[in-house]
Amino acid sequence: MKRFVLLILPAAVPTALVLGAAVTMGVAQSMGLTPVAGGPQSSLDAYSAVASSGELAPAVVISLSIALVATAIAIAVGFTTALAMTTTRFGSKVLKGLAISTIPIPHVIGAAAIGLLLADSGWLARLFGSTAGNWPQFVAGPWWAATIIEYAWKESAFIALVVAATLSRDADELAKTAAVLGAGPAARMRYVTMPLATPALILAGTLSFVYALGSFEVPWLLGRAYPEPLPVLAYRLFTSTDLEVRPQAFAVSMVTMAIALVIGVSALRLFRRQVVTA
Amino acid sequence: MNRRTTRAAVTATATQWLLSAWFLLPMIPVMLWAVARTWPAPLPLPSDWGFSGFLDALHDSATSAFGASLILGTLTAVLATPAGAMAAYALAYGHLRGHRSLSVLLIAPAFVPPFVIVMGLNVTLLRLHVPSLAGISLVLMVTAIPYTTFVMRSAFAGYDVTVEDEARMLGASTRAVLTRVRLPLLAPALATSAFLAFLVGWSDYIVTLLIGGGQFVTVPIRIAAAASGTGNEPVIAALSITAAAPPLLLLVTVGLLSRQRRRRRASANPVTHTPAYLTASGALR
Amino acid sequence: MTAAVDLVNLTRTYPTASAPALKGVDLTVEPGQAVAVLGPSGSGKTTLLRLAAGLDAPDDGDIRLNGASVLHLPPQRRGIAMVSQRPLLFPHMSVLDNVAFGPRMAGAGRMQARNTATRYLELVELPGFGRRRTTELSGGQQQRIALARALAATPQVLLLDEPFSALDSELKSQMHQLLLELRAVLQPTIIMVTHDHHEAMLLADSVAIIIGGMLQQHGPAQSLFTHPQSLAVSRFLGGRNEISGEMRGRAFHCKLGVLRLADGTACAQGRAVMVIRQEAVRLVELTATDADTRGIITHAVAHGARTLVEVCAEGVPLQCEVPPGTPIHVGDHVGVALPVSQRQVLLDDPCPAPSRVGTPAVEHVH
Repeated sequence: MKRFVLLILPAAVPTALVLGAAVTMGVAQSMGLTPVAGGPQSSLDAYSAVASSGELAPAVVISLSIALVATAIAIAVGFTTALAMTTTRFGSKVLKGLAISTIPIPHVIGAAAIGLLLADSGWLARLFGSTAGNWPQFVAGPWWAATIIEYAWKESAFIALVVAATLSRDADELAKTAAVLGAGPAARMRYVTMPLATPALILAGTLSFVYALGSFEVPWLLGRAYPEPLPVLAYRLFTSTDLEVRPQAFAVSMVTMAIALVIGVSALRLFRRQVVTA
Repeated sequence: MNRRTTRAAVTATATQWLLSAWFLLPMIPVMLWAVARTWPAPLPLPSDWGFSGFLDALHDSATSAFGASLILGTLTAVLATPAGAMAAYALAYGHLRGHRSLSVLLIAPAFVPPFVIVMGLNVTLLRLHVPSLAGISLVLMVTAIPYTTFVMRSAFAGYDVTVEDEARMLGASTRAVLTRVRLPLLAPALATSAFLAFLVGWSDYIVTLLIGGGQFVTVPIRIAAAASGTGNEPVIAALSITAAAPPLLLLVTVGLLSRQRRRRRASANPVTHTPAYLTASGALR
Repeated sequence: MTAAVDLVNLTRTYPTASAPALKGVDLTVEPGQAVAVLGPSGSGKTTLLRLAAGLDAPDDGDIRLNGASVLHLPPQRRGIAMVSQRPLLFPHMSVLDNVAFGPRMAGAGRMQARNTATRYLELVELPGFGRRRTTELSGGQQQRIALARALAATPQVLLLDEPFSALDSELKSQMHQLLLELRAVLQPTIIMVTHDHHEAMLLADSVAIIIGGMLQQHGPAQSLFTHPQSLAVSRFLGGRNEISGEMRGRAFHCKLGVLRLADGTACAQGRAVMVIRQEAVRLVELTATDADTRGIITHAVAHGARTLVEVCAEGVPLQCEVPPGTPIHVGDHVGVALPVSQRQVLLDDPCPAPSRVGTPAVEHVH
């Protein structure tokens, strides 16, 4: 027993310390408790300041929308890919290879690559012979298309592999069992394959969503200057030369964490329920 | 099921090609730009080929960025792999009180955006005069622990402890059990785990940026700097290839080696573990 | 809900395999009959069921239900249900919804399907288990649910792929009893793959033996034991006595002398092997008139309640099973009777003979 406690410490202590310190200090600084200048005085001023500046609400909406759309696309593409991987030869060889090689590419490179592909002087624009002004504004455009596509691209590979791993166990045999019991292709998908994939989809989808919500570099490189998504806004306030807005950076940061936690916890609940009924 | 209708077959084939294009397309312009000397705007292909991107990157101290990334990746792997393995072992066999809270704690960093962690921690690290490399490694280690723990937990779940009893009855000492039975059987999972942790350090951007304060320049930081400007396409492409190639090569090599080993000892039964790619995307945060 | 099944010249070769899994198998099952398919592992038994169910397509041959080919039909439209060695219950559904799956797919409403399922749960003697999760059931219960689920789909043909092989012997005999009762009520045509001779004899009306992808023999179980058509079948069914000799007319000439065959049995002439079940061979007094030969007891080992005895007669080892309580002493001289009706003569076969009593096969350790 004691030995086991000792064994878990090297992972548990740094995690607890880092998360604990980050959250306490984050909360404290967002309430102005450890101001860079001035005396300690707890308040929610930073929250109301960043809210009334008209930056917080759009940031929340933009970040949630980007994460939602990107994750939805990633789930749709990833699930289709997983099906192809588990049922076809081409899928199990070529698609699996492509998805696996997408995984170790860092998101920064993904963002750079999507930029080179989709910018108005990008490869696709050149390929279609589009002249300046004709090409849809994927990069830095009003619809955050390049940002969404980058997330969807990377995360669809992740989701595909997680779901394929789940389906590779028994799903094919269970689908065949269903066929022998009279289920046609549509019924097999609806009553067997989909329900079997759901827990994996929830888990992988949530990780993708939280990542898209809290990642800085992709919207910073591919998005537009205004309105800013939560991480970009927080970063700008945090690195601002005006030290007065520092607490606002932490307010944004804490709001982001709260959203991520709520989503993480509800997904975990949903996942547990799925697994229990499974 | 025996004979698909032609239409369904065509749809299936089309879907497969579309999906292939989806995964492949973003990397094509990178590969083209990496070997383009000049590529004026309307042309669909470079007009002149060459390695100017790589040369420019090299002149602009790309090697030191490469070295810095290598150090971060290695440090993260060295710290997070044993920690994750030991924690997974304790969770698998320890019957610990608070087992569930500990599991939640160790998975929690995957659900907290890294910028939130770094911003909150920054002042503390500065106050305690923690060197920036140590601070970066600490945060990256914590970010990697959910993945190393997860991989090792699934490995222990598939690990049959009775083989250790078997070894003991055949006369193996505690040490021999560890080095001859447990480690060899868990080696593939440990390798996966280390690979993931390495990727966390290798591909990190925001942690290095905020704690390093611009002094610690890694390949991702160089890429982001180049990509935020204009006219740097060859350098971006060269750096991207440089950064993406090592993990890809590692993945291919490990895959080939393990396949070869599997063939060599067909009767051996190494512990099933989550493949590297599975948790890798999660780890790349 | 029963149909005649005709498997015609079924042939299947898997792309990666060198030898075909099935070679020209013909098998006919009358409506409501149960046939057991016996064979060593890897002999193509499971392939046969997968082809019949439509989970795989044959390279050649036809599958007919009531005379009509179903080869072009996908599995869901063949009216064939299958229970495998693993229960393969849907893990995301309750026990009741598992059993209700077939009726649902046949177009029944949710409530109606569940009502039907409840009846089938009673049929497999698991009433009240409907709301449980599949993981809460024991292996035997899971297998019974799998059986109920297959039956609830009201198949014309029920395929059973070693469904009881993972169960312990007591559960197994319970399942046998259940299946016999279900057969009496529902009467589906059954094709059952097994490697258990006793199970095959107990549950099936006839037994088909497949070895190396080829149908060796199909007939009533008893006749397979007493009159195998090949040495391969005889050995597969555990026949231990093979006496080399030669057929001349109706007489078999061998070291034991001249052994006559029963009237009406046809046999080719020339070099041949006589097989006779060890259960049929009897030990008699040395002086008994029905002794066909005499010899010395060389080995005796317990074989369940009975004793397996080896007698060396004229240099020929003969094995027989004797009832419990028979006094047996190694070294004793005894007479041996080989009942005429049980003698079967087969053409010589180059296969190696099975191992003998008292000399257990020991694998060499490399």
